[in-house]
Amino acid sequence: MSWATTRLALHLRARAAVLAALGFVAVLLMVGALYPAVGHTIGKLNLPPSVANLLGGADYGTITGWFRSEIATIYAPLVIGALAVTTATGLTAGEEEIRILALVLAQPIRRSGLLTAKAVAVGAVVLAIAAAVWVGLISGVALGGGGIGLSHITALAVQLALFGFASGALALALGAGTGRRAVGNGGAAAILVAGWLINSFAPLVSAIAWLRYLSLFYWYAGHDPLGRGVGVPGLVVLGSVSVALTVTAVFAFDRRDLRA
Amino acid sequence: MGGAAVISTNGLSKDYGSGRGLFGLDLEVGAGEIFGFLGPNGAGKSTTMRLLLDLIRPTSGSACILGLDTRRESVEIRRRVGFLPGDLALYPKLTGRNVLDYFAELRGGVDARTRASLAERFDADLDRPLGQLSTGNRQKIGLIQAFMHEPELLILDEPIAGLDPLVQRSFHSLLREVAAEGRTVFLSSHTLSEVEHVTSRLAILRQGRLVVTDSLENLRKVAVQRLEIEFAEPVDAAEFRGLPGVETVEVNARIMTIGFEGSADAIVKAVAAHEVLAIRPREEDLEEIFLRFYGEPDR
Repeated sequence: MSWATTRLALHLRARAAVLAALGFVAVLLMVGALYPAVGHTIGKLNLPPSVANLLGGADYGTITGWFRSEIATIYAPLVIGALAVTTATGLTAGEEEIRILALVLAQPIRRSGLLTAKAVAVGAVVLAIAAAVWVGLISGVALGGGGIGLSHITALAVQLALFGFASGALALALGAGTGRRAVGNGGAAAILVAGWLINSFAPLVSAIAWLRYLSLFYWYAGHDPLGRGVGVPGLVVLGSVSVALTVTAVFAFDRRDLRA
Repeated sequence: MGGAAVISTNGLSKDYGSGRGLFGLDLEVGAGEIFGFLGPNGAGKSTTMRLLLDLIRPTSGSACILGLDTRRESVEIRRRVGFLPGDLALYPKLTGRNVLDYFAELRGGVDARTRASLAERFDADLDRPLGQLSTGNRQKIGLIQAFMHEPELLILDEPIAGLDPLVQRSFHSLLREVAAEGRTVFLSSHTLSEVEHVTSRLAILRQGRLVVTDSLENLRKVAVQRLEIEFAEPVDAAEFRGLPGVETVEVNARIMTIGFEGSADAIVKAVAAHEVLAIRPREEDLEEIFLRFYGEPDR
């Protein structure tokens, strides 16, 4: 593996990652500050199950439900997923499309080493965002009057980090496997959005309820980390998917022609 | 060819379909050579270079560089080779110094004095973001990264693109120094004039196939010879067209330019029937030789 490549990748992505992290902390502080004034007023919304599922239960009357619906269900995975996908694709297919990768790979470095170094950089960006979520949640929950234990906040940050790793690995496999930025970004985004919809709607029809097990969202949020703590099966599945997709990316990248 | 083969290809092919690619390339380049690899755009020059560096994989055939197989031992090859791609792209937000530091680290370090000397030689700006540099100034950074680890073989794809004449001259003298040290240069171009001052041998590629490999000296020998003859009175071109070996006759008032292959005996005897003021030999422009190889489909 090439640490020089990891350092360079982080240097190139640092600005976007820092802005996203600061934005996350700011949003979490704002959401926490709004809870005492707004949460109790809204309470638990009486919505059709399909819509309630999309909103993480739509129970705004408790601080756990408030943060689950406002942050954990859509906003957090959307931001961390988008950042992981664009970072992974930009470092692989993006650099290949603008022809930088041809010169990098003319240096004495194995393709597997290069891609592993870039995967580590994607992982570091995801970890930075997950850490910002952890800090932001602790502060936001405190501003909202407390009520969510540190272990549950940590559980959400950890599940979110694993979800980010898996999303980035998916984009790595598509981006590095094809050398096409559109496939990396578009393909990964389509799969993630489909997974979110499946996780929300599949449980409503018993015949297809099993489909939710194919969704990364289920393994991230299905156990309700904010309400119930760490879901070990989710961590195992997300971790395994991340490793499997990264290995797939390395394998595919190593065996194809670099695009002209 | 001088010395042991530094580059050796055996039926090297890359078929992109629709007649595009590289087909059955057999080529040997020896140590200490400056070898010109010529051909029009799309002839397969860059494809060959990418195959040699294992950036793309051959459909069939094989290649060795410095005695190493380009597929199985590509990392070791790339350690000993410097490469400049034809469509050089670098990280636009980084400075030249940042990029050179990165490539030096990938190589496990390079001699700082060599790098500094190259930067001075090319008058390269290492401290401005590459996105703010002109094409020529970015090309200088590309050249420094190709030369800075003092590689045994340099593979340079259209290296003087964007360089001003002074830098071109400096680059050509660097190539001669490299060759004098026994190192090898394999450089491509789509125009002969870019390489004729430095190459010892050259190959011409057209539509993915090797058309000719020879020294410039030999190519000149097989070239059509031309004479420019100035007569005291106008002459009739028809009188010379049928002579043995004559290929072209152009008459402009009292001056005739005649192109021929082989012996000039018949021409001299026919010319002797007229009052001749001057006879001037005219060497065929190398560019014309080059274009002739480009243009003839089944040579």
